[in-house]
Amino acid sequence: MSDMPLTGREAAPDRSRPVPFRGGGFKPVRVRYLGAVVIVALIALIEWGTRTGVISNLTLPRPSDVLGTFRDLWVSGLLWDHLLPSLSRLAVGSALGVSAGIAVGVMIGLFSLARAGLVPLVAAIFPIPKIALLPLFVIWFGIDEGSKYALIAFGTFTPTVVSTYGAVDNVDRTLIRMGQSFGLTWWSIVRKIVLPGALPGILSGLRISLSIGIILLVAAEMLGARYGIGAYILEAGSLYDLERLFAGVVILSALGVLTSAAIGWAERRLLGWRV
Amino acid sequence: MDLHLDRLSHRYGAVEVLSDISLTIPQGRIVCIVGPSGCGKSTLLRMIGGLERPDAGAVLQQGDAPDGCLNPLTFVFQDFALLPWRTVAGNVELVLEDHPLPRDRRDRIVADVLARTKLSDFRDALPKQLSGGMKQRVAIARALAVNPAVMLMDEPLSALDAQTRELLMDDLIALWTRAPFTAVYVTHNLAEAVRLGHRIVVLSRRPGRIREVVSIDTPLAARRAGDPALEAHQARLWQLMRDEAEAADKELGDV
Amino acid sequence: MTTLTRRGAMGLLGGAAALPMLGRPALANTKLNIGALNFTSHAASFVAYERGYFAEEGFDVEFKFFQAAQPMAVAIASGDADYAVTAISGGLISLAEKGAVKVIGGSLSEEKGIDGQKILASDAAYQAGLTSPAMLGGKKFGVTQAGSSFHYMGSKIAAAEGVEVEFVPLQKVGAVIGALKTGQIDAWTIVPHIAKPLAAGPEVHIIGDVADYLPDYQVTTIFTSATNAGAERAKTEAVLRALSKGAADFNAALIDKTTSADEMEEMVKLIHKYVNADKPYDAARGSIINGAMRLNADAALNTTSVKDQLDWFIAEGLVKDSITMDVLVDPSYVQTM
Repeated sequence: MSDMPLTGREAAPDRSRPVPFRGGGFKPVRVRYLGAVVIVALIALIEWGTRTGVISNLTLPRPSDVLGTFRDLWVSGLLWDHLLPSLSRLAVGSALGVSAGIAVGVMIGLFSLARAGLVPLVAAIFPIPKIALLPLFVIWFGIDEGSKYALIAFGTFTPTVVSTYGAVDNVDRTLIRMGQSFGLTWWSIVRKIVLPGALPGILSGLRISLSIGIILLVAAEMLGARYGIGAYILEAGSLYDLERLFAGVVILSALGVLTSAAIGWAERRLLGWRV
Repeated sequence: MDLHLDRLSHRYGAVEVLSDISLTIPQGRIVCIVGPSGCGKSTLLRMIGGLERPDAGAVLQQGDAPDGCLNPLTFVFQDFALLPWRTVAGNVELVLEDHPLPRDRRDRIVADVLARTKLSDFRDALPKQLSGGMKQRVAIARALAVNPAVMLMDEPLSALDAQTRELLMDDLIALWTRAPFTAVYVTHNLAEAVRLGHRIVVLSRRPGRIREVVSIDTPLAARRAGDPALEAHQARLWQLMRDEAEAADKELGDV
Repeated sequence: MTTLTRRGAMGLLGGAAALPMLGRPALANTKLNIGALNFTSHAASFVAYERGYFAEEGFDVEFKFFQAAQPMAVAIASGDADYAVTAISGGLISLAEKGAVKVIGGSLSEEKGIDGQKILASDAAYQAGLTSPAMLGGKKFGVTQAGSSFHYMGSKIAAAEGVEVEFVPLQKVGAVIGALKTGQIDAWTIVPHIAKPLAAGPEVHIIGDVADYLPDYQVTTIFTSATNAGAERAKTEAVLRALSKGAADFNAALIDKTTSADEMEEMVKLIHKYVNADKPYDAARGSIINGAMRLNADAALNTTSVKDQLDWFIAEGLVKDSITMDVLVDPSYVQTM
């Protein structure tokens, strides 16, 4: 043991080696534009496949034809004939569902009575496929816009309730304690501490609720709609017109991206205070 | 306004946390409460501030709150409790908004307390932009804004690093020297206690009882870090607390 | 006739499985999926199965049931069904355009003198004056989907009356019935075996006949994949033979009524296994007999009517205008009219 070297410098050179690095991975690195590249490459592949016949025209439409269909929609003005009714259904329906959902969610978050009474009810109606209730809504609210608003409102209501009361539950209790210690009124505490504190949770819940709203748009337009993106997609499906089908689906996707971007914008505007 | 604690006792279920606490907090003085962890210091403070109800005994206010006092018993919290979505000025304003004050009066109060806590340049900053020490100064400014009769400070410097703590202690002393306020200051840090306390109440381990009350007569402004008289007080307090702390440390395992 | 009856009885008793021993199949035990709706208009398939005509040709048949005509065309294109009988729809024409399916024969036609499809009105609309198709202007006309046969009929009737109607897509026949009963829509057209029981209740009224507007309307056709039509000639001919026999039995028993009362009863029982099976026999019997429409003898196809339908789909912009009759129909199998 006596001849054991004491410092690294004295160690035999052949026995010194760097400590292996073990800390990599598990950390998302931001890679720009890769998402767009993947999408573009996939579209190019499909275009090539449909042109050469590797992909039969029964399987997928040619992306350039979809683009052509989209241009026709734009030029003929049909795009707006379909888009505007859908947007107004989505706006009215989800505005009703989301505002009722936030109101009920806040009530559940604040009042033990509301929590005890409503949480089981919400849990019971959450998993109901809202599409199954469409015929019922037609009887209740009529085959025109009423049943479509109701379906989207109902579909966006339950996820909003759940995310809202979760968000209220997660508001920092020390802030509420602080409000009480300064003698703030109950209403002030709700308005100035609970609601702003719950806003991040409510907004991220909104992402899910509005996506569900877009999904339900197609379902809502199953019954009695001649115009609307959902009706357009259903019609294209029944006519087995793949170009129109995909054009409609692309519009829905764009709608989803736009809503998500709008919420992202709202988050940046309203939640700039977050660390 | 003086505060008088009359034979306070409290238990959480089967565990007795406070037992027979009687104490007077005289106007214009800072009373520090020290004790081993789990002795019920924070519970005691919450009872003084009316955020918790004692099982037995009462907290009595003697005399009237000063003129212009909006919230006689006002807390300063360990974790600052600032609203992250409000600016520095907004956080101070929050506690004034429920009072019917004219707009200019409110603005004057905000400007005044921010000046007193040297925050005037940061009135529009958000909490996330501030260091820990600055955040606690905002919390202190907020407490001063309601012109409290008694400030209830719950380990206000514990979340800060040692240097920042020193600076904030100096700030508190300067504030008190300019306009003496009444405070109950809970801490586990004996150095803070001997720097800021006119009286230091030592609590025993659970159930918390008053073990001893130490008075320090040196004026706050004259106290310096490393002052031998203060060191002696601190050593004596440590002597008092040491056995309790040790016993409390062992006890925690049984809970 | 005796052999036929014997076979029929055997078919009803022992099912098709016992039969290959009796006949001399040209194609040994070929699996076959036939697409169908639970309508009387699909009776040829049911009779051919129950009486062993498919088995005689060497087919091991399994039915695939659908809720609407258009998904059937998709099932043919995807290979999930081999042959099917249904109305000409936009989906069917689009799939023909993509080279996936072909119409190879006729199945059901409107015919003067035989009760055909009915034009229905909801009670609310009827009370408000919708008592004849001439009053259809501005009314809500139920269809399953855009480009369905209901859409075609409604459009043709409206055009003949010189009025505009509002088409309301409801996806499924059941949904249309519900909407009509509750007055959510004003009018609809449907085959008689559904129309008559509906009109027996207070919610629905019959206000006209489709045949008055579309005489000789080729309501349903027999179709298959382009591959079957082009390359599997023997098999396709065998399927058409079996279906023709089924159609002939059906016509004899329920349309021309040239058979005995027992034979007719037996036919109704056979059909009741597939149509209105959820209702007791006595309740279903009337509507099956009343609702019977002639099935095309030997699967003859009315190409004039098919051409008219194709032209309408093109004119409505529901299908590409480049589609011709050659693309849609393979006329080499059956007699055309």
